[in-house]
Amino acid sequence: MRTSLGAMLAVGLAGLQFLAVLAVVFSSYVTSERALLDHARELLSDVGTNTIAHSRGFLRPARGAAELSARLAQDRVIASDVPELMEQLLYQQLQLAPQFAGVYYGSEEGEFVYVMRSDGPGPFRTKIIRRDGDTRTTELIWRDDDFDVVERQFDPTDTYEPRERPWYVRARDEMTTIWTDPYIFFSSRQPGITLASPVLDGPDGVRGIVGVDIEISDISDFLANLRIGSTGRALIIHSNGDVIAHPDQDLLKTEDADGTLRFVDIGQIHDPIARAAFARLMAGGRIPVRTETLSQFNYGGETYVAVVMPPISDKLPWTIAAYAPESDFTAAIKQNRQTNIWIAALVAGITGICGLALANYIHKPVRAFAVRSALVAQGELDPSEPLPATYQELENANRTLMQQIAARRETELEYGRTFQLTSRGMAQIDAATGRFLRVNEKFCEITGYSAGELGRMTFAELGDPKEPPVLLFGAEQHGAPREVNQEMRCQRRDGKGIWTSVNAILIFNQEGRPLHVVLTMDDITQAKHTEDQVAELSKDLSNLSRDNTMGQVAAGLARELNQPLTAIAQNADSALFAVEQMSGVDHGLRETLDEIAEQALRAGEIIKALRSFIRRDEGIQTDFDLSELVAQTSRLISAESRAAGVEVIADLGNLPCVNANRLQIAQVLVNLMRNAIEAVAEGDGDDRRVIVEARREGAQVSVCVSDTGPGVAPGVSLFTEFETTKAAGMGLGLSICQSICQANGGRLWHQPRTPCGAMFCFTLQASADQPPTA
Amino acid sequence: MTQATPAVFIVDDDQDIRTSLTRALGQRGFTVSAYASARAFLDAYDGETAACLVLDYGMPGMNGLELQAVLNGQDSPLAVIFITGHGGVPESVQAIRAGAVDFLEKPFRQSALVARIEIAQKMALDKQAALKRQRDLGARFSRLTAREEEIVDRMVAFPAEVSSKEIGNALGISPRTVDHHRARILEKLEIRSLVELVDLASKLNAGRR
Repeated sequence: MRTSLGAMLAVGLAGLQFLAVLAVVFSSYVTSERALLDHARELLSDVGTNTIAHSRGFLRPARGAAELSARLAQDRVIASDVPELMEQLLYQQLQLAPQFAGVYYGSEEGEFVYVMRSDGPGPFRTKIIRRDGDTRTTELIWRDDDFDVVERQFDPTDTYEPRERPWYVRARDEMTTIWTDPYIFFSSRQPGITLASPVLDGPDGVRGIVGVDIEISDISDFLANLRIGSTGRALIIHSNGDVIAHPDQDLLKTEDADGTLRFVDIGQIHDPIARAAFARLMAGGRIPVRTETLSQFNYGGETYVAVVMPPISDKLPWTIAAYAPESDFTAAIKQNRQTNIWIAALVAGITGICGLALANYIHKPVRAFAVRSALVAQGELDPSEPLPATYQELENANRTLMQQIAARRETELEYGRTFQLTSRGMAQIDAATGRFLRVNEKFCEITGYSAGELGRMTFAELGDPKEPPVLLFGAEQHGAPREVNQEMRCQRRDGKGIWTSVNAILIFNQEGRPLHVVLTMDDITQAKHTEDQVAELSKDLSNLSRDNTMGQVAAGLARELNQPLTAIAQNADSALFAVEQMSGVDHGLRETLDEIAEQALRAGEIIKALRSFIRRDEGIQTDFDLSELVAQTSRLISAESRAAGVEVIADLGNLPCVNANRLQIAQVLVNLMRNAIEAVAEGDGDDRRVIVEARREGAQVSVCVSDTGPGVAPGVSLFTEFETTKAAGMGLGLSICQSICQANGGRLWHQPRTPCGAMFCFTLQASADQPPTA
Repeated sequence: MTQATPAVFIVDDDQDIRTSLTRALGQRGFTVSAYASARAFLDAYDGETAACLVLDYGMPGMNGLELQAVLNGQDSPLAVIFITGHGGVPESVQAIRAGAVDFLEKPFRQSALVARIEIAQKMALDKQAALKRQRDLGARFSRLTAREEEIVDRMVAFPAEVSSKEIGNALGISPRTVDHHRARILEKLEIRSLVELVDLASKLNAGRR
C-alpha cells in the first residue's frame, strides 16, 4: 500500500517535533537530577562540617574556662579555700559563656562551690557546701546579674558529695582535663557534658577539681535550626551509640526503671528514619566511622540520602549524621520535570499541529495537482488551463503530463475523426459477444440502423438470415484469424439485401487477450450490380457478336454472290435480246435464256431471305447513357488492357443521351477498343494509351477511339470484308462496326492520329427528347 | 449542249457487272461508259453532259450515296439509278430523297433496268434544259450594273412599291434616274414588263437556291 504524501508529512513533521522535545526534556531531567543529588550530598556534607565546627566552637570556651579557673586556683591566685572568692571567679566564668550551665569547684576536703544558672528568684544560684569537721552545711545563694544577693538560704537536706561524682574521679585519676560522655544533668534534666580539670597540688597531689557543665541542648537547637532541604535532619551520635543531639530534643531522653534519665541509643530512637539510616552503623557497641560517608537508603517507599561524618576528635568521639529525603532536592526537579513533560507535550502538540498545518500547506499544491490531474483525466478540465502556483517539480511533471495528455487526446481525436469521417463504414465490436461497441455514421448509412439500435445488436444479426455470417471471432476460437477479408451479404433495416466487403481486424491487449474487433465495411452492392451488368453485356455481346458475324458473313456472301448473279442475269437477258433480233430462232433457246435470268434472280431471293433471317433484331433503338456504356465496355476489356500494359482513358465530357441499339454500339466500342489495345500491344512505344473521346456535335454525338500504336499502314483496305491484317481475324470486325453504325444512322471512319497511331470515329444520333446528362 | 439520247454511265467496282451491263446496254443502242469507282467517274465526267448514271451503292472508297451527294452539289444534268447487292430500306430511302430515279436490288432483269434508264434519260434531259435556262437567266442578270441590280432587288422584295418615286426615295436617288435605270434593266434582261421581271428574278433565285 502506498502512503499518502500528506500523511507522511504530517506524521514526519509532528512526530519528529514531539520526539525532539521529549529527548531534550528527558536529557535535562536526567542531568539535572544527578546534579541535584550531588548538590544534596554536598549540602549534607556541609551540614556535617558545620555541625562539627559549631560543636567545637560551642565547647572550646568551656575548656578555656575550666583550665583557667583550675590554673588560677592552682597558682593560688584565688584562694581555693575561700568559697566566696571561688564563687566570684566561677560566676565570672559563667557569665562569659552562655552555653555553660554551671561552673563549680570541688576540693579534696569535700568542699564545693557551684555557680549555676537559675530560673529564680535570681538568674544565678550558688551552692556552697562547707565542711567543718564532719559537719557540713549547704548554703544556696541567688544572685542577680550584678552579683548582688537576691536570696540566701540553707539546704539541710542536701546530700551531694562532689568527690564521688564521676567527673571528679576521672579528673583526679587522670590528672588532666577530661570530658565526660554526655549525660542528662541531674539538676536541670538537660543533656550535657562535663569538663573537669584538676587543680594540682605539687607534682602528684590534687587540691581539687574545677568542672564546667555545658548543656548541649543548644547543639540540638542548632541542629533543629539547620535547614537540610525541607525535611532533612542532622543528629549527633556518640561513639557509644547514644544520640546526643537531635532536632527534636524530646526524643533524646529516656527514663530507666530507677528514674534516671539517659540518652536513647540510635537503635531505639523514636526517629524511624534516623534509625533506618544509622542503626546499621553500630558495630560492637561502637560506631567505627573514619571518613565522611555518603549513602542512600529507602524508607517508606521514599529514597533518602544520608551522610556520616568522622568523629570530631578523640576527646569528643561524636559522629555527625544527617539525612534528607531525596525528594527534598528532586521534588522541584520532579515537579519541574512534570511541568516540562507537560510543556513538552504541549509544545509537541502545538508543533504537531503546526507540522500538520505545514504538511497541509506543503501538500496542498500536490493535492491540487492530483485533483487537477483527475479532472483532466476525466475530461472535465482542459489541459491547457494554467496550473495554479505550485512547485517547480510539479510544474515540470505537469508539463510532461499535459503534453502526454494533449498528445493522447490529439491521437484519440484524430482516431475518432478518422473513425467518424472516413468514407467507409467502421465499427468496433466486442470480441467475445460480437456486440457493437461503436459505429460511425457511414456504417449506420450502409446498414440503415441508427447508432443506438446497433448498440443493442450483435454483428451476426446484420447478416442475411438465409446466409448468416461466419462468427468472426469467438472467445473459444484460439486459432481465430487476426484479420478477415470477405464479401458478405447483409440485410438492411428495411429488409433490403446488400452486398458488403468486410475487413475485420482483431485487436489484442498487451497480455494477448482479444480486446475488440475493428471492422470496416463497404457497400459493394452497386459495384456488384455493375459487375453483373458488365457480365450480362459481355454475354449479350458474345451472342450479338456471333449473330453479327453470321449476319455479316451472310451479307458479305450476298453481296459477293449477287454480283455474279447480276452478271448472269444481264448476260442471259443480253443473249435473249440478241436472239430475239434474229429470225428463225428456236423458241426453246429463248426460254432457256429467260430461265437462266430467272434462276439468277431466284438465287438472289434465297440470299436475301437468308440475310433477313439472321438479321433479326435490327432496329431496336433506345435512349441510353453513352458514358455508362463506355465505362462498362472499358471494364469488360480491362483484363486485356492490363495484360497489354495499356491505359484506357475515357474523356467523355458532358454528353446527352444517345438513341441507338445499345448492344450494337457496345459491340462497336468493344471492337474498336480491342483493336486499339492490340495495336498498342504490337508496338513497343513508351506511350501506351487508348483514348475514348466523345463530343456532341449538333444533333449528333461523335465517338473516337484512338491509340498510340503504329497506325494503319497505307494501302490497307480497312472496311473490306474478309480482308484482315490479323493472323486470327476473319476481317469482319470493322465492316460489322460500319454496318452497325450505318444501321444506327451514323457512320464510321478512320483517320490517322498525330504523331502516331490510329483513330476510329463513329457518329450516333443524340436522343431527341433527352436533356444532356451530367 | 443538247443531245438526242443521253449517254449511260455505269459505276460499279465489280468487273463482271460492268462488262455484262456495258454489253447489254450497248446492244440496245445506248451510249455506255463504265467506271470502276466513284473517283474514276468524277475524273472523267465533264459535268455538262446529260446522262443516266447506273450507280452501285456499296463500293470501297466513296460509295454510291456519297457520289450522288457530290454530283448534286455540282448541278450536274445526271439522273441516278442505284443498284445494290445488299439493299436496305434506310439506304434506299436516303437515295430516293437525294433524287435517285430508283433503287434496284441485284440481281435484276435487264428489262427492269432498261425501263428505268429510259425514264432517267428523260429526266436527265429535262434537268439539262432547266440548267440551261437558269444559266441564260443568270447571264442576263449579270449584265446589270450594281445600281440596276439594287433596283431589281428592291422591286422584287417590295412588289407593291414599284413607282420610280418610291424606289428613288428608298434608294436616295431621283425618280428620273430610276426611270432611266428601269429602261436599261428591261433592255438588258430582254423583257417588256415589270411582271416578267419579277417572275424572272424569282426563277433565278429558285435556281440559285
